[in-house]
Amino acid sequence: MKKKQNRNGKDKGISLLVSIILVFCVLALIVFSVAWKTSKEMAASAIQNLSESLNLIECTIEAIFRNEADLQKMIARKVAEAEDPEEYVSLYEQSQSMVKLSLIMRGETEGISNIGEKFTEEGLDFSAGGKMEELPISQSYVNHMGTWAYTMKCPVIKEGKEIADLYIEYVYDSLDKSLPNSFYNNKAMLYIMDSQSERFVLKPKGMGERSAGHLNLEDYYHANDIKEQELRNNVEDCLKSGKNILFYHDIRGKRSLNYMWAVNEGTVYLIGYVPLEAIQQESRTVRHNIFVVVAVMLAAFFLCCLLYFLNQQKQNKIREEREREREKHNKQLADALQAAQLASNSKTMFLSNMSHDIRTPMNAVLGFAALLNVEADNSAKVREYTKKIMASGKHLLSLINDVLDVSKIESGKVALSLENFTLNDLVSSVDAIIRPTADNKSQDFHVEVTGIKHENLLGDETRINQILINLLSNAVKYTPEGGNIWFRIIGMRQRSSQFEHIRIEVEDDGYGMTPEYLKTIFDAFTRAENSTTNKVQGTGLGMAITKNIVELMGGTIDVSSEIDKGSLFVVELELRIPEEQADRKFWQENGIRRILVIDSEQTECESIQTLMKDMDVLIDTVSSVDEAVNTMQQDREGYQLVLLEWEKQGDDTVSIVNTIREFVEDTTLILFLAPYVAAGMETALGMEYTGILTKPFFVSALKEKILEIQGGRKEQAIPEEDAYSLEGLHFLAAEDNDINAEILSEILSMEGASCEIAANGRLALERFEQAAEGEFDAILMDVQMPVMNGYDVTRAIRALKRDDAVEIPIIAMTANAFAEDEKDALDAGMDVHLAKPIDVELLKKVISQYVKRKE
Amino acid sequence: MNKAKIGKALAAISLAVITAMTLGACGMGISGDDVIISEKEDEKIVNLFSPMEKTEPDAENTARNAFDQTIAIAEERLGVNVAYRTYTAEDYQDKTYDDVALERARSNLDDLYLLNPDVIQVLGEEGKLEDLSDLACAKNLREVVKTANTVDGKLVAIPQEVVAYGLFINKDMFDKYKLELPETPEEFLECCRVFKENGIETPIGANRWWLETFVFAQAYADMYNGGDTEAEIAKLNSGESRYSDYMRPGFEFLQELIDKGYVDAKKAYVSEAIEGEGEDFLAQKTPIVMAYWGAANTETAYGKTDFNMQVIGFPSSHGQMPVVPITGFGVGAEAEHAEEAKGLLEVILSDEALQVYSETNKVISPSKNVQVDCVPALKPLNDRIEENVYVLASNAGLKVEQWGNTCLIVRELLNGATVDECMAEFERLQEESLKK
Repeated sequence: MKKKQNRNGKDKGISLLVSIILVFCVLALIVFSVAWKTSKEMAASAIQNLSESLNLIECTIEAIFRNEADLQKMIARKVAEAEDPEEYVSLYEQSQSMVKLSLIMRGETEGISNIGEKFTEEGLDFSAGGKMEELPISQSYVNHMGTWAYTMKCPVIKEGKEIADLYIEYVYDSLDKSLPNSFYNNKAMLYIMDSQSERFVLKPKGMGERSAGHLNLEDYYHANDIKEQELRNNVEDCLKSGKNILFYHDIRGKRSLNYMWAVNEGTVYLIGYVPLEAIQQESRTVRHNIFVVVAVMLAAFFLCCLLYFLNQQKQNKIREEREREREKHNKQLADALQAAQLASNSKTMFLSNMSHDIRTPMNAVLGFAALLNVEADNSAKVREYTKKIMASGKHLLSLINDVLDVSKIESGKVALSLENFTLNDLVSSVDAIIRPTADNKSQDFHVEVTGIKHENLLGDETRINQILINLLSNAVKYTPEGGNIWFRIIGMRQRSSQFEHIRIEVEDDGYGMTPEYLKTIFDAFTRAENSTTNKVQGTGLGMAITKNIVELMGGTIDVSSEIDKGSLFVVELELRIPEEQADRKFWQENGIRRILVIDSEQTECESIQTLMKDMDVLIDTVSSVDEAVNTMQQDREGYQLVLLEWEKQGDDTVSIVNTIREFVEDTTLILFLAPYVAAGMETALGMEYTGILTKPFFVSALKEKILEIQGGRKEQAIPEEDAYSLEGLHFLAAEDNDINAEILSEILSMEGASCEIAANGRLALERFEQAAEGEFDAILMDVQMPVMNGYDVTRAIRALKRDDAVEIPIIAMTANAFAEDEKDALDAGMDVHLAKPIDVELLKKVISQYVKRKE
Repeated sequence: MNKAKIGKALAAISLAVITAMTLGACGMGISGDDVIISEKEDEKIVNLFSPMEKTEPDAENTARNAFDQTIAIAEERLGVNVAYRTYTAEDYQDKTYDDVALERARSNLDDLYLLNPDVIQVLGEEGKLEDLSDLACAKNLREVVKTANTVDGKLVAIPQEVVAYGLFINKDMFDKYKLELPETPEEFLECCRVFKENGIETPIGANRWWLETFVFAQAYADMYNGGDTEAEIAKLNSGESRYSDYMRPGFEFLQELIDKGYVDAKKAYVSEAIEGEGEDFLAQKTPIVMAYWGAANTETAYGKTDFNMQVIGFPSSHGQMPVVPITGFGVGAEAEHAEEAKGLLEVILSDEALQVYSETNKVISPSKNVQVDCVPALKPLNDRIEENVYVLASNAGLKVEQWGNTCLIVRELLNGATVDECMAEFERLQEESLKK
């Protein structure tokens, strides 16, 4: 259809073009015929003009000749009347035209002339028969003055009898004054030629461009390259018969009109040429103007065509653009529809999963609750059921947390909270969470940190932690027992000096994923296996959350995986480096100037050197103890710290330490670099000035370890759960929900504490205002409450003018569980934020941290 | 209103305006005043009589071109119109240019004349030429020009170039027969002999005008180069020395050339300059011709040859000898436009105009202040002139006119007269001059 339209368009275009060309051909024909006709008419008119001009010159010369003849006749009469004709002639003064008067009496061959010479007819040739007013005219000749002249002969008749002949010599120069000063604006050439001798006798002034002078007709032919014999014969015939002739011939490369114009019946001829361009100047101008008009019209026409063409092109382009736009739009709509359908499917699937996932623990909760009711007296059963109810409840809670997190991230309400943190803390906390679960599945958990230049960084540690925990817990989850999990943090080449570019790799040799699943792994509501058929439980939101957080931080996440071979997740992040990094003072204060590192792994050594770069501490690295011994033997300055790789030591720990001690002072610290607390470390820990530094190496960890050992301080043992006690404490609890209030009261009373419940914020505030100072040890504050919310209450309490108003710990206990909520709580003046449901242990820990015991 | 509508409206208005204007223009008649008054311009004219060479129609005539350039300068500067008048003899039976120039000057037909040395001297002596020594341009002239053209203390003519005559040699032919360029008459004869023996029928191409240059070279080589020139001229003018004594060796030399067939006397007698001998020289049939300096620059003469051409002086006892007849422009004493003609001369003989002329024609300028390079072929001749080695072929200080008379007497020799008869003619001319 479209092709057909195109073809139709093309056909129309061609027919239009043909029509235009036809119109133009007709127009061109008309213009040509008009121009041709005009040109022809003007050429004829130009020849007419030339003929008239030549006629005019001819008449002028003939008039001069006639006047001369008349005058000569008159003089002849005067001579006849004179007493002494010879004397009359000899005394006659010559004029500009009549330069010589001569008289030969009849019967004599010699006469006299007025210039005092004797005169004979010798040298005068009247044989050509040229006459003017019946007076014979001689052939032209160069006279005594050096100029071309002719002589007319007139009989002197006295009393009817011819007594003498009067000869008067005239010079051609005298004609010059009577002829026009210019002929065709000096472009035409004109000579006066004596017909009999064919000599050029006069070139009037202004008649022609300067060029080589012409001597005679033959010379004229030669000079102007007129060689055509037929033409020359024609000219010759005309000259003989005294006719005028005009002919076209190129003269000096210009098309010219040559003329041979008879004067006085051919006695003399006007010879010359005029270039056509000179006589057809008007016609040329007309032609030129026609050409200009046609050219302008053509240009205008083509301009119009061009504009039309351009416009058409533009229209076509717009049409095509719209077409493309429409297609694109349609495609987008189709894609959107597909995506919507997919989303709908996913959500249906999700709901189905959720339904299953929620119902399963809920079933457990309700089921065990029912069992509890039956078995209430059996305390062992009660504990068991309660434990299972708790587990199911926790699972439900994590489900709810994930769902909420995803919806939060997707709605763009997540904000990162940037704080300083150290990679050391990050790795330690991740290690602390993952290692036990990995150990439970007998998996080897490898932690490697290489190429990091700065370990103090600025970022949202909690979210990064969340990423790592998500990835690693997945790795643990989807790797069978006895498998391996690698957690690597690699320092990449910095793109900017202000940012540390890190690459986090989480690799496992577990189940792996199918290529199909890989495509949707980061989409929400998907899971490797449908939860109804898989033992592994989860919301299917973890990876979506992870990806969103990574992108929120401006990072990237990639995954590669192969079924039964394992998966590799790669996260790249750029984290800002805080301005204050180096802490040289610490090392100076502790007198540590040189450290010897004994480690067989080159990358580990380099990593240590990199991290210690700005500390003004010299780091020497060796790969073995023997090498270390050599180095220390040659060294005189000594080391203030030795870092020794643990794995290589085995049972010889003590002897190796002793060997090293031979070269260093007794107080020099020797720290073992161990991947984690391994077997046999007790021996090492038993030695003085010796300790364990857990790999990976971090400067902050090293500093802590040094302080710990040098200060003789031992890290305090993690307090036992029992160490936290709420015994005897009295709380004010603002809680609008009766059940929650009851649970809280019960829990606290179980712990030996008491609490007073205020049903809303206003009541809580009033109660606190009324309370004696120190009556309450802390305030447990719900946030969403009727009348007055928790934030406002806190602000009001903190604003009260009593001593404990500022000091009393206010602990937020709210179902608003997000980081933003925590921030709002702290901003309002609360001391700490605990998310509901209440974790009793956490509550105890927090309260005991903030509440001073009464004693 | 959107843009498209505005555009259409504008296009329609433009079309309407163009149509209206076109129709208006077509219907418009010739406008202007009904009365046209034509005023006749008062034109200043100078009539110049000069020879015009016959040239091929499309050939550039360098000499005329240069002359025309200077005339154009003058016309523009003075607002005059220079009318060219000319005469060219059809054949040897016609009056010569010199004859006609003489008659025209005597009849006051023209204002300005380009004259050959003999005519200058004759007209000068007759008082037919204006004294040009007051012209500013005359102060720049070389002494040789002034010497040659001063008659009775009046500078009667000034040329635009110092014309030097020399022998035009086909060097390739000389080389072919291993001939050195001749210095003396004897060496010259020897060269001719070799050419003749090698089948070159007439080694020297000649015309009826310029054979006299051989005579001058031999006659006055001593007088103008080393001798006491003024004293010798005085003796000639007083009759103490005889022209025939000076001229005889040259005439005898010419006679020998004719007798030995080195010159075709009969052909030369009826040949015009260059026309007669030029063709054979260019076709390398004749190794030697004589001509004036400018012929080496003019394509219509010998400016473009297919062989290595050299221009050397004529053989003499002083070696190769350039022969310098001084031509010149003279103003008719009773000319109608004598003042305009003198004004014209001031311009065309100014250093500025002569620089143009000399550069265009590559000739020796009559002005001391104008120096130009010559074409390579002319170098030998130029070197001699630069060394001040040359003979004058015309000298108005000598009472017997040289250039014209000697030419005529050489023609007699060509026509069969003996050397003695020619010498007798010199005797007669000297006697006549002594009577004046």
